[in-house]
Amino acid sequence: MTELERIMSAVSPRGVSRREMLRRIGIGAGGASMAGLLAACGVEGEAEPPAAEGKDPLSTAKVAGELNFANWPAYIDKAKGASPTLEQFEKATDIEVEYKEVINDNLSFYATIREPLASSQPVQWDLIVVTDWLIAKMADLGYLEELDHSKLPNFSKNAGAIYKDPTYDPDNAHSVPWQSGITGIAYNRELTGREITKTEDLFDPAFEGQVGMMTEMRDTMNLVILSMGINPEDATLEDARAAQEKLLKQREDGILRQYYGNDYVQPLAQGDLALCMAWSGDVLGKTLGSDSKVDFVVPEEGGMLWTDCMAIPQDAEHPVDALEMMNFVYRTDVAAQMTAWINYISPVPKAKPILAGAKDSYTRQVADSPLVFPSKDMESRLHSYKNLDPEEEEEWNDLFNEVIEG
Amino acid sequence: MALGTQDRSAPAPPEPPPDRAGGGRKGSKSRKGLAPYLLTLPGVAWLVAFFAAPLGFMFLFTFYDGTIDIGYSFTSDWPQTYFEAFTTYDTQIIRSVIYALIVTVATLLISFPMMYWIAMKGGRRKNLFVLLMLLPFFTPFLIRTLAWQLVLSDQGIFLGTLKDIGLLSADFKLLASPLAVISGMTYNFLPFMALPLYVALEKLDSSLLDAAADLYSSKREAFLKVTLPLTLPGVFAGSLLTFIPSVGDFIDAEILGNPNTTMIGSIIRRQLLVNQDYPTGAALSFLLIAGILVAVFLYARALGTEELTG
Repeated sequence: MTELERIMSAVSPRGVSRREMLRRIGIGAGGASMAGLLAACGVEGEAEPPAAEGKDPLSTAKVAGELNFANWPAYIDKAKGASPTLEQFEKATDIEVEYKEVINDNLSFYATIREPLASSQPVQWDLIVVTDWLIAKMADLGYLEELDHSKLPNFSKNAGAIYKDPTYDPDNAHSVPWQSGITGIAYNRELTGREITKTEDLFDPAFEGQVGMMTEMRDTMNLVILSMGINPEDATLEDARAAQEKLLKQREDGILRQYYGNDYVQPLAQGDLALCMAWSGDVLGKTLGSDSKVDFVVPEEGGMLWTDCMAIPQDAEHPVDALEMMNFVYRTDVAAQMTAWINYISPVPKAKPILAGAKDSYTRQVADSPLVFPSKDMESRLHSYKNLDPEEEEEWNDLFNEVIEG
Repeated sequence: MALGTQDRSAPAPPEPPPDRAGGGRKGSKSRKGLAPYLLTLPGVAWLVAFFAAPLGFMFLFTFYDGTIDIGYSFTSDWPQTYFEAFTTYDTQIIRSVIYALIVTVATLLISFPMMYWIAMKGGRRKNLFVLLMLLPFFTPFLIRTLAWQLVLSDQGIFLGTLKDIGLLSADFKLLASPLAVISGMTYNFLPFMALPLYVALEKLDSSLLDAAADLYSSKREAFLKVTLPLTLPGVFAGSLLTFIPSVGDFIDAEILGNPNTTMIGSIIRRQLLVNQDYPTGAALSFLLIAGILVAVFLYARALGTEELTG
């Protein structure tokens, strides 16, 4: 639960500076922190335009030996309670990594860093991983450091062509991809009693109270719009309204159990959910090479393809250490090692031959999976989120909030 | 402005102990008059710094308009903020009040017999029984509620077992329903009702019941005419302590419920921490505070305030 994590991290002083503690306690007690209070007294919260930064400290700063890394759960390889990738990184660079799995959904996480960013205070993180649309939004507001690509040789050498110069972040000025993934449907065969093939199945009254949807507005709205036979990239406000109708009905008819962030994994595993919207890698790891009762499908109507990116928040305290990490994970062997464990789509295509040559059959299966290295056929079934301008975003958010707030 | 209040938040130095009552009756009349006020100073300073000042800022927020990114500015259209907050979330406000009322009545019905038994028949082990009742509540609120989520999950140890032996149909569910939310809140808020009731029942003078018996009253009459009226202050205190936090509770509704059971506490949390729409969140908070004040006032009038002092 996000709330649990929030409270836990607010109580535990580990890795939290005193100022950060005070800031959090401020939020907990009054619901508004100092920046907000100042703003209330008439001091404008300022969103500095990105160009205004003349003296970019990034080019002169040195490795500090410390890196605070915020990421999503189960998004890095793990063995015996530690991550081989992080251990190798620490050994190779002498940088100590505080790796925290604090991100459950984009907006909730963004909310925890937005205030210091808006008032030009450094946030607690040096490196964050958020989805492409949020990268675009944060870069627009001047909340992300510009990357020094001379420090990222592995990226220019090994990244796949489609991961370079993406529309959400031209020239990769502020971000490089961490992993891509597919939004589709996961289902528990024992509970559904049949194969699930369509997004429409999420609205089947037979699964009353056993269907999970996502708190990510873009995932849920775009997938539903896709199921109505509309390409999300061409969707209008009318289409968004129709999608909202459908979601409201699903909720009011009691078909919906709950809206989830990354925390849908637990209820899916323990049988509270018969089927739910899911992200490919979360489920694949449990289904490949085993006779698990859970399956992942890209619906007939199509699935969503997104990219989560690494970025450095403006005024981060250890930006060069963050660049080191960005460069490190673009080593082909490191990329392969991570993909073998997390099963999302790696931005490094050269990881595939490495995995295909592995000794164990599970890893070879990962290399063969069209969900990890999408085939041409699979690519044709995947769609991108609709690109929303700020006004549209507010309208879509309002529609969606009405659904999830009850 | 914010800094100014921060200064005041520094804990006040402890006051020198006041003269013993009656001591120096003539010499220190002015000091004696001042002492009680000085004694309240730490408490008042604490309240001002951590309650009144934040509340004041929250109140200020309701007059502003804007977002974190573009900054906030005063708006003359602030009544609209309150109006919109209320009309958008009236369902959740009403739902919260209804849930909280049910929870208050349920905790009263559950804890009165229990505490009556402990206070009247507990004998020397009274304190042990009270401790036993409180023991589960030594774990944090959140952990307890998450535990319920595991215990009550559709295929979990409780429902799963009952389904396996055929006592429940395979698609029976408890979680993600109003029943689950209300039950969770009833469980979590039980001590808030039980302890004030226990105090009231415990200090009941048993010779009054003997007297009632001597005057030929039946046990039922003695209960209705002696025990119940004398424990009303406990009922009143317990109801307030249960009702007020349960109206604003969001943990139970978020963990055990679903969007059909969203309570106003969840909405305020989302407005402040996810959507970061501070004006709406603040306006909702004040609507809630105002609503609770009115409800408490009416309740106090109905129950008779002279009962409150016991």
